[in-house]
Amino acid sequence: MRDLHIAACALLLTAGIGGAQDFSGQKAPESTPGKGMVSYLFPEQVSIPAQKSTDVDLHFRVADGLHINSHTPREKSLIATNLAVAETSALKVTGVEFPAGTDYAFAFEPSNKLSVYTGEFTLKAHLTAPAGNYMLQGLLRYQACDSRSCYPPKTIPVAVNVISK
Amino acid sequence: MIAALGLMFWSGFKEYQRRQQEAAAPHPPQLALVPDGQTPPAAASGSSGDAMPQPQPLKGKPAPAFTLVDLDGKKVSLADYKGKAVLLNFWATWCGPCKLEMPWLVKLRDQYKAQGFEILGIESDNYDTDPKAYASYKAGVVKAANSLGVDYPVLLGGDSISEPYGGLDGLPNSFYVDRNGVVTAQIVGLADRDEIEANIKKAIASGSAPTAAGGQ
Repeated sequence: MRDLHIAACALLLTAGIGGAQDFSGQKAPESTPGKGMVSYLFPEQVSIPAQKSTDVDLHFRVADGLHINSHTPREKSLIATNLAVAETSALKVTGVEFPAGTDYAFAFEPSNKLSVYTGEFTLKAHLTAPAGNYMLQGLLRYQACDSRSCYPPKTIPVAVNVISK
Repeated sequence: MIAALGLMFWSGFKEYQRRQQEAAAPHPPQLALVPDGQTPPAAASGSSGDAMPQPQPLKGKPAPAFTLVDLDGKKVSLADYKGKAVLLNFWATWCGPCKLEMPWLVKLRDQYKAQGFEILGIESDNYDTDPKAYASYKAGVVKAANSLGVDYPVLLGGDSISEPYGGLDGLPNSFYVDRNGVVTAQIVGLADRDEIEANIKKAIASGSAPTAAGGQ
């Protein structure tokens, strides 16, 4: 059973949501969508009851052979996985839950346990919106390593069509 | 008729046996299609023992010239090390494999310094130019370098020279440059200590007569 904890996500208020690249707050090269190390799987569309806080699971996958730091890495110098979402005046994202990481140690440093995500992992976003059709847009920021190398932080876009009724 | 049926049954049985044997036999690794730019699973698994040789696009070519700043804010150019063998070690504070090999580099530098060898540790984060953010970034680099006992020059802003150095997608990323400024080897990822030392020796031995070639 996974131990989920509430973590505040970065909520960036935007007057109008254009492209995902506009609200990242990241430096330009990092805003380039990550090249396949982590992919957003689903959902592309969800239905939620109007004006009622609803949990929506966002599914991601880390490519085989790679790991990314969890939302709560054990070392301060490591880059945590985070989700930045663009909030509109109507569609509210009141929080995002990140799963606890699993233990991982590099073969060359077995005593140093890291908290990481591998394979598929799921974030739980708490959404509220009046009746209507919305686009939830966000950016997942992560930093991946394999067993010998680490790769610069990257972001991937997340887009979910939210139908509230 | 019975003989023909028996023959068909027998050949079918033998074919079944052959398929079973094939299925039980060890198979070579299957090829996997990987989208452009994505890390191939085999490379990502990092089993170095039987891995394919890494591409070294800069090997045999002049090391691209650069000028960066060190932790004291002083400008440092590759050209300043003309006539020396230099290891350009690109690393980052968030890179575990980088931090493992850096104490080895400290010792190897001590060992080969008298033979005209130097290491430039180039921190490769894409830092923010905002003064407060830059100060925080620099403090993180200083802290990491000190904790690892690094006493060779550490330069900031390696991301700004990533393009001429091939993108620096994976860290650590080490370029061994001989006395003439020519790259003698490039290693991406954590290398074996003996491999690092062998490449240092090769860089020292190569290009003993300094020329104007390369960035040095």
